[in-house]
Amino acid sequence: MKNIIIGSSAAGISAAEALRRADPTCEIVMISDEPNPLYSRPLISYYLAGELPEERIYYRPPDFYERNRIEARLGRRAVRVEPRANRVILDNGEELEYDNLLLATGAVPVFPEIEGLEKRGVFGFRTLKDAKEMLRLLPEVKEAVVLGGGLVGLKAAVGLRARGVEVTVAVGSPHLLSQMIDARASEIYGELLEAHGIKVATGMEPAKILGDSQVTGVLMRSGEELPCQLVVVGKGVRANLEPVEGTEVRYDYGIIIDEHCRTNIPNIYAAGDVAQSYDVVRGEHWTNALWPCAVEQGRVAGLNMAAKEAVYRGSIGMNSVQLFDLPVISAGLAGLRERDFDEELIVQPAPRVYKRLVLRGDRVVGFILVGEIENAGLIRSLVAKGVSVAGLKDQLLRESFGFSEVLPLIEGRSERFPEREYQELIETMRLVS
Amino acid sequence: MERIFCDLRRCLACGACELACAVEHSSSKDLFRAVLEGEAPVGRREVQAAPFGSVSLNISLACHHCDPAPCVDACITGAMHHEDGVVLVDQERCVGCWMCVMACPFGAITPSKLKVALKCDLCPDREGKAGRARYACVEACPTEALFAGEFVEFKRLLEEEVVPY
Repeated sequence: MKNIIIGSSAAGISAAEALRRADPTCEIVMISDEPNPLYSRPLISYYLAGELPEERIYYRPPDFYERNRIEARLGRRAVRVEPRANRVILDNGEELEYDNLLLATGAVPVFPEIEGLEKRGVFGFRTLKDAKEMLRLLPEVKEAVVLGGGLVGLKAAVGLRARGVEVTVAVGSPHLLSQMIDARASEIYGELLEAHGIKVATGMEPAKILGDSQVTGVLMRSGEELPCQLVVVGKGVRANLEPVEGTEVRYDYGIIIDEHCRTNIPNIYAAGDVAQSYDVVRGEHWTNALWPCAVEQGRVAGLNMAAKEAVYRGSIGMNSVQLFDLPVISAGLAGLRERDFDEELIVQPAPRVYKRLVLRGDRVVGFILVGEIENAGLIRSLVAKGVSVAGLKDQLLRESFGFSEVLPLIEGRSERFPEREYQELIETMRLVS
Repeated sequence: MERIFCDLRRCLACGACELACAVEHSSSKDLFRAVLEGEAPVGRREVQAAPFGSVSLNISLACHHCDPAPCVDACITGAMHHEDGVVLVDQERCVGCWMCVMACPFGAITPSKLKVALKCDLCPDREGKAGRARYACVEACPTEALFAGEFVEFKRLLEEEVVPY
């Protein structure tokens, strides 16, 4: 069997490892447009900040391909897939045939439609190359403007600030991190960034990048000019659909996958940021471009490619980040614009501790934990499992809340909790009673 | 694969396992020295009250060493990894992003102030020790509620009647 994997980040690596473990003899080819793709994308902000040297951001050792007997085609872009011919066309015209194909092409930054994006000093913040070029330019940079107040933009802002740059974050919406948290939590982070010398300007959309060949500033729609020598565009990402555009492979915002991480074409799979999977909270297919989803989808795809049945139970939106000394974890319907819930519970026991639980009926459909994050995984699992928490909802946000209180929800429910670890607990409780 | 299980009928919530775990993971492995040296040892095990029908029992909880493990999937650095069935954190590689804390359904990972994730590592420094002394928490448990072994063996223990103390 010949397997081709396009993409060599979280989903691609995870798929290749699962595939190789399940099938020691099959052929695996991995294609990546990056020359050195085995690094961890979320770590480029740590590299930019100077917290990690380059060798520490690698997710797998350099002998990964050899050790897993993978033929690596690095620095090559897959430009088109021909599902009927079972063929992938590379940017040099080369044609590769496959029995099974995995599309793990990831996502690419979205750039706003404004003038001046081609100037030296304008960056997306997605690849190691972006981070390296930003560092190379740094001696000429006194001020930087980050367009967008999402996670990527803020991590870039924190990284640049750590290098002594004067940073302004210009956010189009009235709030920072509006996809991840609500207005009150966002205020806490606004104050935190300001306290660390990062300016936050909300309600600010860019009109034009200023300068000749080199960036000298950003003209905002308000007419205000923000002088800077570096611009980071953090306006979100979109699925990299290039190789499947116009083909029979079905896609919406991302490539639609089923519970086996398979597309509508039986021998083509997709995983990671390019895939649109069933979101168990929203009840529809959704692109949750997140590291943990990419790794799990990659593994499920890899196993199925090796003809070992594996099931993907669906995703939920979630994220975790620590900016300066303040951590936040949120999941489900936690963002500013989410309205599809019946009830919210909020506690703020200290100025920098904020917890919000969002319920639909007697099920938790989202939460935000700022400052005290210990129970995030436990609450997240209740969101993902979709179980009723009727008798427990007032306890979930307490600091003392713990897993043992969830035991009655699990007891006797083998079907909803099929994982080995839950099964052992269910069996233990059955024998003890 | 040998793991640690808690017999809820025997656990008295004395907290000996929590303390023994914290001491085992301190640099001196001695409670008084650790405290005198200004180190506050952090345990990776927690005893909780478990509602059980009309009564409340106790359960000593720590990492289940899941396979596949959500924390390993979520780790962006590769610090959280499987090694012969044990889920371990390479503290040198952990950057404190807390993706593992977000992922763990059991709340078994502690985000420490030093920006590294702490969890049960099945006492690597006790490798070679035999019987109950192999794990600090198991050794410390005065009622033998904590059991180290395969789950099938633990099930056999649960089928035995408990002799009241």
